[in-house]
Amino acid sequence: MRDVYIIGTGIHPWMGFSEKVFADFAAVAVDGALKDADVEWQKIQAIMAGIFIYGGNAGHLSGQYLESIFGETGVPVVNVYNACATGSAAIRMAYNSVAAGETDTALAFGADVSPKGFLTAKSDNAVQDRDVIRWKMGGMPNPIYWALECRKRMAKYGTTEEDLALVKVLMSEYGSKNPDARFKKAYTLEEVLGSVYVCDPLRLYEICPVSTGAAAVIITADKELIAKADKPVKINATTMGSAIYGDPTIRISALSCPAVAEAPMLSESYSASRQAYEKSGIGPEDIDILELPDNSSWHYLVYLETCGFCKDGEADKMLRDGMTKIGGKLPVNPSGGFSSHGEALSAQAIWQVIECANQLRGRCGPRQVEGAKVAMAQTYGLMGNSGTTIMSL
Amino acid sequence: MENMANKVARIPNLVDWSTGEVRLMSAKCNSCGTYFFPKEHYQHRPGCSRQGVEDILLPSRGKLASYTIQYYPCPAPFKTEQKITPYGIGLVEFATEKIQVAGIITGTDLKSLELGMEMETTILEMFANEEKQQVVTWAFRAVK
Repeated sequence: MRDVYIIGTGIHPWMGFSEKVFADFAAVAVDGALKDADVEWQKIQAIMAGIFIYGGNAGHLSGQYLESIFGETGVPVVNVYNACATGSAAIRMAYNSVAAGETDTALAFGADVSPKGFLTAKSDNAVQDRDVIRWKMGGMPNPIYWALECRKRMAKYGTTEEDLALVKVLMSEYGSKNPDARFKKAYTLEEVLGSVYVCDPLRLYEICPVSTGAAAVIITADKELIAKADKPVKINATTMGSAIYGDPTIRISALSCPAVAEAPMLSESYSASRQAYEKSGIGPEDIDILELPDNSSWHYLVYLETCGFCKDGEADKMLRDGMTKIGGKLPVNPSGGFSSHGEALSAQAIWQVIECANQLRGRCGPRQVEGAKVAMAQTYGLMGNSGTTIMSL
Repeated sequence: MENMANKVARIPNLVDWSTGEVRLMSAKCNSCGTYFFPKEHYQHRPGCSRQGVEDILLPSRGKLASYTIQYYPCPAPFKTEQKITPYGIGLVEFATEKIQVAGIITGTDLKSLELGMEMETTILEMFANEEKQQVVTWAFRAVK
């Protein structure tokens, strides 16, 4: 396998519901990536597309629709879905294609338009779609799952409501400095603790909503393109993990979980991160910036442990001691995180990688982490989906 | 147990009341020992032969392993005639079977919820169907 670099990135800023066509958002991100890389469209030799699940036939074939906007060139176009780790899957396929020498330059992108209101069932077929049971019989929107785990954590490790609120305080401070974030208001601890419970113990400001957004990266092993790129970012590893038998986490869409743990919590992310550490030879102690999936404040804490940045039960102390702030030992989510963006399902993993690349390239203005050389983007998706990307200058 | 005549589960093969108690319909793999709920939601141990999966009813009682209180109405296709929000969702542990099952908490003061408390399986009436049957789901309530 040869060395592979990110040479161009593009984002359509995150926002709420839109009547615009998803592919138009994708085009903005892809245009940005092409310009950043200073690459012509005809140089793209493969398109790995995250699908837009609410877009019907067009959304499920998002790569073909994107290609038709820029001009069809006959290259391989593959459309992929791995829930909220969809973008990780697209990047991994692009990476593998380039690293193996099948192609020299590939595009990975994802674009999503927020469904109006809350996420809900995607079919009415309880036989084929097990997810229907939790909606029709369980009354269990996604945050319920996080709240059930969060309460267990509070009882086991002493996580407090102040800890959960502090996560939002930090995320909102960074989000207020990110022009691409959807939510740009900085909140105080009192304001967060004063927000209503959505599902006790999680409050409105401590869970992320669904958003509209698009993100694209161009990766290459083409020496000429690397040479002319502005600070190309090396991909040291990009991996995906699935769950491990005996994981005690109650996974979104499930109605039960093991009572006795035989595997780590969020084992899909344990798997993805450990694969990335092994492949790259880079460990948690070497990482200068971490973008993790803070779907809720609970995720922010547990992910520090799942990915091996501290021992189980120690994440709260890292947070309270300021270790996860910009300027701390391990700046976490300088982008403002999902808390400031919301989930744009197929785009979010790519956006996390872009934030890491932008940080390494010194492009982040008031939220810049100084001197960062190695960054890690970690995703989390429903039903045992996860991806890890480790990058360096 | 309440009168279960003229009641029908909204989705079949999840909750049973034919024994005189309301119980969840699980399945046990006799090869790897894992219990599943719903019973078709297989979670076999890697390498398991998957032979000898049998239907089994979970005990009616278990212990509250976690809970949350949901403060906004669950969107469709969830449906109840009566307003139930805010409502509790519990994760109830059946220790022998080594499984925790999620379900709505009913008939229980939500302020009294505590981890470890004993819960029993029951049903929640959701709405009447065209045949004037009460459509129900499984639920949990604190043992008095």
